[in-house]
Amino acid sequence: MREPVSVRILTYACLALFVVMVAVPLFWMVTTAIKTNKELYEDFSYFPRQPTIVNFVRVIQRDGLLINIRNSLAVALTTTAVTVVVSAMAAFSIVRYRYRGRDVIGRLILFKYLLPTAMLFVPLYAIVVSLGLGNTLRSLMLTYLSFTVPFCTWMLMGYFRSIPPELEEHAMVDGCTKVGALIRILLPLSAPGLVASAIFSFTLAWNEFLLALVFTMDQSTMTVPIKLSMMVVGDQYIWGQLMAGAVLASVPVAILYFLGQRFVVQGLAAGSVKG
Amino acid sequence: MAITQRSATVVVPVGAAPRGARRLPWFRREALEGIGLLTPTALILFGLVLYPFFYAIWLAFTDKAVGSPGSFVGLANFRYVLGAPQFSAALVNTAVLTVSAVAIKFVLGMAVAVVLNQQIRGRNFFRAFLLLPWVMPAFVVYLVWRWLYDPLSGLINYGLLDLGLIGSPIAFLSDRSTAMASVIVAHCWRAFPFFAISFLAGMQTIPQEMYDAAQVDGAARWQQFRHITLPSLYHIIGVVLMLSTIWTANAFEPVYLLTGGGPSDATVVYTLLAYQMGMVNMRLGEAAAVSMLFLPLLVGLILVVTSLLQRRAH
Repeated sequence: MREPVSVRILTYACLALFVVMVAVPLFWMVTTAIKTNKELYEDFSYFPRQPTIVNFVRVIQRDGLLINIRNSLAVALTTTAVTVVVSAMAAFSIVRYRYRGRDVIGRLILFKYLLPTAMLFVPLYAIVVSLGLGNTLRSLMLTYLSFTVPFCTWMLMGYFRSIPPELEEHAMVDGCTKVGALIRILLPLSAPGLVASAIFSFTLAWNEFLLALVFTMDQSTMTVPIKLSMMVVGDQYIWGQLMAGAVLASVPVAILYFLGQRFVVQGLAAGSVKG
Repeated sequence: MAITQRSATVVVPVGAAPRGARRLPWFRREALEGIGLLTPTALILFGLVLYPFFYAIWLAFTDKAVGSPGSFVGLANFRYVLGAPQFSAALVNTAVLTVSAVAIKFVLGMAVAVVLNQQIRGRNFFRAFLLLPWVMPAFVVYLVWRWLYDPLSGLINYGLLDLGLIGSPIAFLSDRSTAMASVIVAHCWRAFPFFAISFLAGMQTIPQEMYDAAQVDGAARWQQFRHITLPSLYHIIGVVLMLSTIWTANAFEPVYLLTGGGPSDATVVYTLLAYQMGMVNMRLGEAAAVSMLFLPLLVGLILVVTSLLQRRAH
């Protein structure tokens, strides 16, 4: 049934409004990064007149952002690798095995998924210091597992439940062990779920702010978010470099999002709404 | 039963030890395997979630500072925190931020979902594009908004001046009357896509026949929304509102990165207060006490969401 013209006009008008609302801050971030300081602070213009990469060069050379990018990558990649393996094992165990205490763990995972880091950063800090891990990247690799693993286990539980167990049972009748059935049957079938959980753990670790702020103290261990937030208070005329840094910080996440968009949207739905 | 099994494993010759495991009854072997697979996650949950959780409760009753062991001080931390003027500011601000931001995100998210659910050209592109604020790192979003709000060179001030809507620049983030509203706007921009995408996912499961039937019966579009769309979304709306309430009430980055709690505590929220007491004043006991005072409310919310989510799962 065709929509009346008035409804279609209203729909597209609202859509245009939403697009502008989302686009303006993004546009401003990117154009600020390629403007000269003159254009930013003296001779205002909405569009960059002489696009330049000088802000990117400065944020890397003068502020040493590459070190922070390396720190962030090390933490995010380690966290992701451990998380995917550990969560897949746990989700398989909870969905396909029967033993006492399984429900308790399932409920604890959900509880942690909902319990914000803000509730735990004080004791985690005390624990990290007493383990002698203060101001190390290892403290982040370890503590980030406290939110990536519950999140990904919860998501993978949803995926594994959606795959009929008969497939694995057939494999087991043919002489495959249960763990063999996980590796040969369930994992290939839930590849989209595994990709989504890898994307999510990388993103969660890459974006994490509070624990990194509390645990890391200097340039050698600061991750990108902390470095950029420290730059704000440093200098008045920092915005060109800062937005260049913001663009660089968004790039890995944006690439992952566009490569895995289908999985991410499915994952958002599986993790939050469908259960 | 237990004894016979134990002796059965003992009599297996040493050389055949791997085969010995196979002789366990299937349900015990299965249980062991399942528990084995779960062990790493269980260790993480106990070591990094449960233990810190109870440790935080203990900390709230001690005078633990960084570098000192801390001893039991009873309710002294709670008396101190409850007496601090910052605490009542944090309580009010957290409530204002949470209630208004969740309401705005709900309306905006629903509007976006309704529009994206129409037959529009390039729907997949627009859906992906409008999700961008949620995909971007939160710290990037709030740094960008801090720059947008800048009183000297920020886009918002330039734009408003050009349009003739204001006579002189506004210091959005350092003026008491605008600071909280500015934080809320930036936060809503970042977080509305979660509402939109969840509602859209729910709307797409509503069968088209229901709308066709309503149209035959002469129901106006608003009535269709009111009597078909909304009731079908009740469960999703409940879950999304609860999740967002938890996340918003515990948000740290918007306030830390935009205003740092200022001007004069006008935007301080409880997470920021805990951070300031624990990390700036180095008094972990008091910081833990701040978190504990918000815990009952949080646990209540979590239990509601848990039951909503699990009802759906079964």
